[in-house]
Amino acid sequence: MQEHIQIDDNKQINNDLLSGVLSWPKWHLAAASFLALVIATGLGAYGWELNKGVGVAGINRPVYWGFYLANFVFWIGISHAGIMVSAILRLTQAEWRRPVTRAAEVLTLFSLLAALSNIFFHLGRPWRAFWIQPYDFARGIWPNVRSPFVWDPAAIGTYLIGSSLFVYVALLPDIAVIRDKSKGKVAKTVYGVLCLGWRGTPRQWKLQAVSGILLSALVLPVFVSVHSIVSWDFAVQIGVEGWHSTIFAPYFIIGAIHSGVSAVAMVMALMVWMWKGYDKYIRPDHFDAIGRLLIVVATTWFFFFALEFIYAIYTLEEPELALRELQVLQWPYGFLFIVFLLSSYFIPIPLWLFKNVRKSAKWMFWTTILVNIGMWLERFLIIIPGLARRQAFTFDWGTYHPSIIEILLVAETFAFVALGILVFSKVFPLVPLFDVKEGMVFRDEIKVGRITVPASIRE
Amino acid sequence: MTREYQDSNDPTIRDLSASSALSRELLAIHNRSCGTMFRTTAFVLAGLFILGVIGFVVKIITDGPEDKASWGYHAAVFAFIITTASAAPIVAIAPRMVKAHWRRSISRAAELWAVVGVLSLVLFLPLLAVLPSLADGRRTFWFYHPGEVPEFTPHVWTTLAILGLTVLGLALVWMSSLPDMALLRDNSSGWKQGMARRLAFGWKGTSRQWFIQKHRLGILGAFYFMMLVFAHFMIVADFLMPLVPGWIDALFPATHAFNGLQAGIATVLITMFFLRKYGGYRDYIGIDQFRSMGKLLLATSLLWVWFWFSSFNVLWYGAKPSEQAVLELLMVGPYLPIFLAVFVTVFIIPFFTMIWNPVRRSTWGPPLIAVSVLIGTLLDRVRLYVAAYSVPGIGDPKIDKHELHIGDVPSAVIPNVSDVLIVVGAIAGAILIYMLVTRIIPVMNIWEQKELLLYKVHKSFHRTEVQILGKPD
Repeated sequence: MQEHIQIDDNKQINNDLLSGVLSWPKWHLAAASFLALVIATGLGAYGWELNKGVGVAGINRPVYWGFYLANFVFWIGISHAGIMVSAILRLTQAEWRRPVTRAAEVLTLFSLLAALSNIFFHLGRPWRAFWIQPYDFARGIWPNVRSPFVWDPAAIGTYLIGSSLFVYVALLPDIAVIRDKSKGKVAKTVYGVLCLGWRGTPRQWKLQAVSGILLSALVLPVFVSVHSIVSWDFAVQIGVEGWHSTIFAPYFIIGAIHSGVSAVAMVMALMVWMWKGYDKYIRPDHFDAIGRLLIVVATTWFFFFALEFIYAIYTLEEPELALRELQVLQWPYGFLFIVFLLSSYFIPIPLWLFKNVRKSAKWMFWTTILVNIGMWLERFLIIIPGLARRQAFTFDWGTYHPSIIEILLVAETFAFVALGILVFSKVFPLVPLFDVKEGMVFRDEIKVGRITVPASIRE
Repeated sequence: MTREYQDSNDPTIRDLSASSALSRELLAIHNRSCGTMFRTTAFVLAGLFILGVIGFVVKIITDGPEDKASWGYHAAVFAFIITTASAAPIVAIAPRMVKAHWRRSISRAAELWAVVGVLSLVLFLPLLAVLPSLADGRRTFWFYHPGEVPEFTPHVWTTLAILGLTVLGLALVWMSSLPDMALLRDNSSGWKQGMARRLAFGWKGTSRQWFIQKHRLGILGAFYFMMLVFAHFMIVADFLMPLVPGWIDALFPATHAFNGLQAGIATVLITMFFLRKYGGYRDYIGIDQFRSMGKLLLATSLLWVWFWFSSFNVLWYGAKPSEQAVLELLMVGPYLPIFLAVFVTVFIIPFFTMIWNPVRRSTWGPPLIAVSVLIGTLLDRVRLYVAAYSVPGIGDPKIDKHELHIGDVPSAVIPNVSDVLIVVGAIAGAILIYMLVTRIIPVMNIWEQKELLLYKVHKSFHRTEVQILGKPD
């Protein structure tokens, strides 16, 4: 059954997809105000931490890394959604990608910024963060390039620049449309500058398409390197049992894709519900496609998770076994471990096997939220029990309790990403106009016997 | 917008007579008698295979199963066959799942390699005698305790995994070829017709039969993939890593399986080249297939280096003495030249050639690079298995099985004549089995080609003509 709605009138596509930009949806201001309030509270908490010192957070000896670092890894993971959905699906010419690429890319940008903010929350003296840069040769301050903490900013910075370019290049034709449709002089001027003189000439289209493909191909290795390096923050050292595992890089990447693609599905559901007219472009077929992708991704992730766990026990080293016991059998980690497994795999996967579930925005919304609860807990369970276990030569076996400051700052990152996407949607369309229009032109149908089969043009 | 398939006004649409002509053409290619080249190659391969059997018998008589180090090359060629031939059907399974049309002319060629799984099973059996029981105290994920865990658990489970893979592979080939066997039954004579009648299993082409065939093909493909990963895991977890004390690499079972995907792609690429050049399928296997496979080869080469570096970086940076010893054994010590050769042939050469569009878009580029990948894969298996089997201690409860010291890293094992004969004979046997199977089952998937006629139309689009491809739900 065809669930696609064919719209050949470009004006209608413009009006539908620019409704959020050219007018104010009623709920927009209320939602933005609430999110701004959460962010303000979080910033207040951060101010308190700056004033009193990082001791107001729950981190202590030996749990030096707590909520902030778990949250950092989580947001880095979510940031992989944009590239996974956009670059890979673009290179493989998957038609269903068209209405969802922009939202995925924007999610990448704001998640990366949220991830970076966690590093600042975690620093005792954040005003010295710039020391990571080789800023003053005369003083002989040179970052230790052998440290994964120096690799991190380089990788994340490159990824941020690459992703921003990726979003911007794809935005150019749409900005030109807004320029032409906006009424105010200021708006016309700003959009006119931003679209870099886009007129839609064949040469411009060719350059835009080529740069999109090139950026897709170039940003993919960066995307892999970012989370690999984040994983090596943990894995390359031998001090913490459970962290020194060769599988960490692929395991983190596939986990990132699992949580990231789930986040995209969640955002797709929100777009359908919250923006009028978007449901004509994001159809049950799109949820079905992303649901299928998620089954493959989640199962691959589970395979890597199983390998990581099996080979941890395989070592038969006592500290490693003690850590796994703490992680799986002792309160509260054992309980969290069960929640993590159920929510990230054992509840969503059986549900996604049903087509009706995959095609339902409501089901996909709630199941993908479950996945992300599970994946946040996964990062928590990797970091905290690894540090909290009892070990030799440590006088303090303090357990970890997150403080209200950490909770507020974690909430702030979620509000920041949500507000970022909201503000972006007010300035630019969340569904790429040109991509959707191209999809409408490329789409066709052929009749085979009594069945009508969806088809698309292949050059 | 909706277009009729049998639109007589559109001259570019192939009608039912085109479908019949396609069947006739492909059956004619399949049914033609073997050429001199085919026969000569088959005889040479059969001769090499017999020499391999002789080499195997000599090894049993001279070395016996007790000398583990002498069986490294046998283990390596077994791993090579399962990494290449058994992984090749994935090239048919994965694109079929995502409904990529370019796979249609190469899917059968890829699936037929599953038949060579029988040889993998035969090559594996001697290793059962070589690997001692768990009672020697080695590290194992079976967590052996006398009396609680059967001491030959690895032998049983790995055999079941490889047997399962072989059976699933045969079932996959049979299920895929059912409609073509029926076609062969109705359009051939002699022994081929008799064989086709038995294999067609009463196929009439009813809607129900088609539904069941496609459904089961999907399920068998998914199970084959999962069983392939499981078999690789079992082989690595029981027949490779525990042989080296201190080798703890959680990623390696996945790496081993993943190497199979790259080598499987390379195997199919070389097969495609020969089918196009000498098999009479020039009109069916074209640039589209080579380009798509070239892209996959490029992607898998990049993933190869990422998997390798993920393991290497963690072990090297951690600088634990036992892990340094493992790196010394497998990479930077006695097998360094082989490791460097692997790195060049499996990553450097494919990466720096396949990034160029003109190379990917040629019928010679991807197969040539595939040869490099297959050479690298064989060397990689030699590096890993020969090194692992040469480490002393396995089977001897008195020697520590949990840590390897750099001073204890054995020197490289140079192959003797019987080793060379076994390696060459096994590879020749694999190719020979494949060639013989192509005489029974059409190497070109006829029903998938005919199906493509239904889903592919051409139409004019502004000033050019475009191809429209249907993707059924």
